[in-house]
Amino acid sequence: MRHMTDHSAMIPMRSIRRGISLLAALLATAALPVRAAHAQWSTVYEQFYLQAPHNWTFRTDYTHADRLFNAFDYGHAILYETLWTKPGAPASLLEERIYDRLVRGVLVRPPRNPLEEAAIEPMYARLAPEAKVMFDWAHILHRQLYDVLADERLDGAAKDREVARIIAYYKSRPDLAFSSKPKSMALMQEQPYSLAFRKTYPKFNGLIWGYHWLQIGLYEPLVTGRTREERQAGVRATVARFWQMLDDAPRHMPHQMPMTPAVAPAFAARYPEAGIIFDNLHSMHDVVSDILANPSVPRAAKRREIMRAARLFRDDSSYVMGSTAAWVRMSNHMGIENMGGPAVGFLPAMPTPSVTYGAVMTHDDRTGEMTGFRYGNATGGDHAAHGAPAAAAPAAGGAQPDHGAHAGHAMPTTGDSLARGAASLVARLLTDPVVRQRVLADSALHAAVVRAAQQLPEGERAAIHAALHADGGTHATPAARPAPAPGTPRR
Amino acid sequence: MSARPHRIALVGAALLLLGTRVHGQTDYFNTDAGRPLTIEDAYALERRSIEIQGAPLRAERIRGGQYRWGIEPELSMGLFPRTQIEIGVPLVLVDQARQGTRRAGAAGIDLSVLHNLNRETSIPALAVGFGALLPAGSLGPRDPYGNAKVVMTRTFPAFRVHANAQATFGPRLSLPAGSPDPVGGNTLELSRWLAGVAVDRTLPLRSMLLAAELFARAPLVRGQPLEWNAGVGTRWQANVRWAMDAGIGRHLTGDDRGWYLTVGGAYALGWPWRPARR
Repeated sequence: MRHMTDHSAMIPMRSIRRGISLLAALLATAALPVRAAHAQWSTVYEQFYLQAPHNWTFRTDYTHADRLFNAFDYGHAILYETLWTKPGAPASLLEERIYDRLVRGVLVRPPRNPLEEAAIEPMYARLAPEAKVMFDWAHILHRQLYDVLADERLDGAAKDREVARIIAYYKSRPDLAFSSKPKSMALMQEQPYSLAFRKTYPKFNGLIWGYHWLQIGLYEPLVTGRTREERQAGVRATVARFWQMLDDAPRHMPHQMPMTPAVAPAFAARYPEAGIIFDNLHSMHDVVSDILANPSVPRAAKRREIMRAARLFRDDSSYVMGSTAAWVRMSNHMGIENMGGPAVGFLPAMPTPSVTYGAVMTHDDRTGEMTGFRYGNATGGDHAAHGAPAAAAPAAGGAQPDHGAHAGHAMPTTGDSLARGAASLVARLLTDPVVRQRVLADSALHAAVVRAAQQLPEGERAAIHAALHADGGTHATPAARPAPAPGTPRR
Repeated sequence: MSARPHRIALVGAALLLLGTRVHGQTDYFNTDAGRPLTIEDAYALERRSIEIQGAPLRAERIRGGQYRWGIEPELSMGLFPRTQIEIGVPLVLVDQARQGTRRAGAAGIDLSVLHNLNRETSIPALAVGFGALLPAGSLGPRDPYGNAKVVMTRTFPAFRVHANAQATFGPRLSLPAGSPDPVGGNTLELSRWLAGVAVDRTLPLRSMLLAAELFARAPLVRGQPLEWNAGVGTRWQANVRWAMDAGIGRHLTGDDRGWYLTVGGAYALGWPWRPARR
């Protein structure tokens, strides 16, 4: 009886254990959807732009340019929606049908009002609302800066104060704000998913880079124009240049992501923090395109990858370059002729790019010096000196060969006085910003100056390079790039 | 009439609000209850925004051949993240053609808060709302009423679906037999509960929203049957400051199958901001 009692007592104990095990298993099973649900629970929220008397000044005074930005928003949104909802569609859907609709329709007759992108990209907005709202917040910053710079009631000091206030407002949302520390291009184009978009959709990618060129380029005539009329004329000329890029696409389109210090040097020098934020914003646009376009990123992982990239673009510690000067130098080494040329002071003809389309240059993050090519190669100009195509690039983890900005340059063998005199003349001419811009805009002229400089002693050569790039630094022979360990994301 | 001072004061306040020169961007995409449809989406106003519904007009044919005209000046504020607070003062004119009389006045004070819980991902966007209609004005309710609602928004490639469910707390009403207008004002619009869905489709390049709704409500008045209503409407971004709306609807069931029409506009601006001093 006692045994029976014990036995009968054991049964419930086993049942309890089984029950606990079963419950634990159920909880573990349930935890998966709970975790998944947690990953999908988004509390991101939008915020109104900074209320100020200059609100919508650009819209009022530069209507034709402002409306183009509405069209650009449509282009970005329809791109993401198409990549996300039609992963198996032929490239021609974006490269021909949607591209033509954009270039011949939406850009020609741009919408009057800023667009609600969630209405154009509803499913993408569901996939990554956090990234969408980050983009929206940065686009508001873009528009508010145009307003300040276009407001004729503000003098230079007042504009500087307002720009500082707008940037502070932007940064008051650290959950949305892109970092104002310059990020290495490696974050954009050396990730496992990188380059998928530009390789598959070169024309559309060129269009997006053209958008970004105009978005940063339009600041330049607003900053450099000395009168209202100069600013008006400058903005019209810069917009006309954008249209010129669309001819025979993608031949005249930027071959590299346009960088603010190269395209809009006066703006970047005056408001470097804004320029850095915009370059980070535009990099992130490319990253999202790559993640969506790259089939090697499973659909179930795309949100996670976008969230990761967004976090890296927001923080001030990942992939950060050595200094603002390094960011400027890197931008200049990428070559203005590869970014669609300068936004003001350009020649009638489009510049000839000096690298293959979408080439990936590597840089020393500390100094900004170019160190080589990871994808594509030089086709002429300053970059011809880099010679070696990407195939010759070292394996990850190995030291980079020294085919940097000046690796191919012959050292001068003579101190010929005539050459020195010419060098002195060129260096002096290059101190004029108009001459410098024209030289930078014409890759043939640029290459001729660089070639001439190669014949000179180091000191004079450095002087010409310093004058040419006017970034406060000289072109020292680049050191080998400290490469990360293979497969190790830099944090 | 005792309502006259209220009327003058409220109309004056509404005109003052309309006359203020402000800058802002409105959002036709973010629907609000009554503008133009009863069923709304699960998103609150942007943080730090202020929206002024200057003089939204509602015309309604109600029981016994009466017409009711109303405007409800309303102020909405995105005071906190994902949270909007609204205050409105409905002004109503009841035109009792058969009796040859007209009554006009404020019909209470409307307070409400909507809090969005999450932004839509694979999980629909959800929100909770709470509101109160306080006694005020000659056509206002005798007692305060409270309500609570849940809202859901689900997006599909071509359209969005919104579902609302709302319950009202407060004393129920009894209609004297044959009474054409027992209480007036907004009280008759109150429901013990309300549930419905709306579908909207956006024309993004035109900044226009087209929407349709179907909802059921159990009237607060004792003995009245469940009422089904349907409506269609549109919201349109006129410019960066103004979003306009218009809608029309009909009571589908019950003795009184009247119709209603609404037209309005919302003006948006932001809260002033200064950087924190260090």
